[in-house]
Amino acid sequence: MMDENEIRQRFAQLREADRERAPSFAQIYGRGRARQRLRAMPGLRPFVLGAAAAVVIAAVWVAKTRSFSRSTTAPTIATIAAWRAPTDVLLRTPGSELLGTMPALGASVLDKMISTPSNRGT
Amino acid sequence: MDDVELRLQLERVHADCFGWAMSCCGRNRDDAEEVLQTVYLSVLDGRARYDARSSFRTWLFGVIRRTAASERRRAWLRAALLSREARSVEPAAVSQPDQEFEREAGRDGLRYALTQLAERQREVLQLVFYHDLTVEEAAGVMRVSVGSARTHYARGKANLAEMLGDAKEL
Repeated sequence: MMDENEIRQRFAQLREADRERAPSFAQIYGRGRARQRLRAMPGLRPFVLGAAAAVVIAAVWVAKTRSFSRSTTAPTIATIAAWRAPTDVLLRTPGSELLGTMPALGASVLDKMISTPSNRGT
Repeated sequence: MDDVELRLQLERVHADCFGWAMSCCGRNRDDAEEVLQTVYLSVLDGRARYDARSSFRTWLFGVIRRTAASERRRAWLRAALLSREARSVEPAAVSQPDQEFEREAGRDGLRYALTQLAERQREVLQLVFYHDLTVEEAAGVMRVSVGSARTHYARGKANLAEMLGDAKEL
């Protein structure tokens, strides 16, 4: 078992080792002040709050835009399919109905073109 | 005591405070420095006031001890809150150079033996042998009765002597 003097000696060695490695008072105090300033920087707080608000607004806007575009996809496709060019009427040439119907045997093509009481249904 | 005088007093006892902070923080240098930063700021900003009921050093040691304890509680809470995430992440086998040094240098020596003692025993021995305080002063720092401090001192000294004696024989 070790006696008290030896214990004291061991503690003295430990104290010396700690003192050699100890940072100075100025270093510790300076770091503390810097940390305190960073935490409570009054000029920085509005910027931080503003940036946080901008991020939240942007996130909400992006989320809303995404959900809106998803819900309007189907109507957009329907609208595009129903669209007709305004110049379509120019493609309708005289006698085009002859090309769109099957000719019948024993009938005249003129029956379709000339309006008669029989084909008017009167 | 004005600001300049307070600052001078702090500078005078700084080396001692660092040793005590190291002891209160389980010899973790980073934690000890952080505790000292907090303590010096609270003293100089007037949040911790010296009432001259004991010596300045004894009073300051008490402040360091309480600050270290509250930092430990905060760290424990933080660790508890983050434990879920920590479970999903592989534990990193990174140790700080200082801790590594401490482990190697003190494996068979005083540092290692101190870690094996009960907290109160370690505190009273550190205050008496390292900082040359009386057992009565140590009791003041530890906020225990003098009788209790004496008991911790006697048991701690016996345990330490035994451990160091065993290590010496090996």
